[in-house]
Amino acid sequence: MPTLSLNNQNLPYPDPIHPIIVHFVIAMVFFSFFCDVVGYFTRNVRLFEVSFWNMFVASGAIFLAVIFGQFEAGLANIYEAAQSTLNFHTVLGWSLAALVVGITAWRLVIRNSNPLKIPPAYLGVSTFLVCLVFLQLYLGSKLFWVYGFHVKPVVEAMKQGV
Amino acid sequence: MNSQLINQLGLRLGANGLPYEIPIHPSLVHLTLGLFIIAILFDIAGTLFPLERSIFKFLNLTAIRSGFFDVGWYNLVGAACITFFTVAAGFFELLLANPPANQKSAWGLSVGLTMLLHGLGGVFLLGIIVAMTVWRGLQRYYWRKNASRQVQWSYLLVGVVMFGILFVHGTLGGQLGSEFGIHVTAAELVKEGKN
Repeated sequence: MPTLSLNNQNLPYPDPIHPIIVHFVIAMVFFSFFCDVVGYFTRNVRLFEVSFWNMFVASGAIFLAVIFGQFEAGLANIYEAAQSTLNFHTVLGWSLAALVVGITAWRLVIRNSNPLKIPPAYLGVSTFLVCLVFLQLYLGSKLFWVYGFHVKPVVEAMKQGV
Repeated sequence: MNSQLINQLGLRLGANGLPYEIPIHPSLVHLTLGLFIIAILFDIAGTLFPLERSIFKFLNLTAIRSGFFDVGWYNLVGAACITFFTVAAGFFELLLANPPANQKSAWGLSVGLTMLLHGLGGVFLLGIIVAMTVWRGLQRYYWRKNASRQVQWSYLLVGVVMFGILFVHGTLGGQLGSEFGIHVTAAELVKEGKN
């Protein structure tokens, strides 16, 4: 197997890519929900279209996010304290991929039957989705900001056997 | 800021140098960047719509040109609103940063210069995003109200240039975390010689 040449953050490229791709999942899911809720109460049907396309982008981006996430998790120096958070983040990531795509598909069905209305059941499910994305954001942030995955001083310290 | 000045604030700071576990600024950044970039991309998609029509037909997906411009407009407004909070949280966390002063980033910049550029850049970008929102609003509601192409070419060009600036700016910000370990709990513990 050819070996990758890793930098001092344990990556074959300058900075982690996963956190960049997740912009387009986090922002799009949140904003889609925001548009649905505002559209529902103000009867601004334009916002439903905005919401749909945001979900559409999110379901495309989430696959790339999971792939890069798996890759970068594999290259991270994982120590015992961080293991459970990483496991939870991984399982939730894959579940979210299925969930986001499923909900987007449902959204497409709703849009095809009546683009001017959004059923309250959809709002309920997307509320649940927003909560899960928020949890996932927390777990992912914890891996970087608390456990220091791919953070230079931490990677270097671990190489020296701290 | 030096530790004596930080202590004067009387905040109860954790090991990461913040009064809370996870920095807020990087989370808000997801929203600023995601919304802004998708806003511009959908305006580009709306502009090039005649070229994409066959793709949507192939995918059996209903797409309306004005819908793309709606995404461009509302996402941009969302980005402009949230960015005030992103910049405010960024400044708060920048003030509490206390990194080791003797290192250089991958770009050969010192910690202080990276922080300074990222801080000033944030204010500059907030200004541009707000100005672009006003510009976009004028196009949408006055200048190009009845035009099938709602945005000017110059607007799209500025948008694409902004991608480049955001990339540089974002990388500077990323370096503050991933190279200097600012507000990273594990890095701060390593610095103090703990495990």
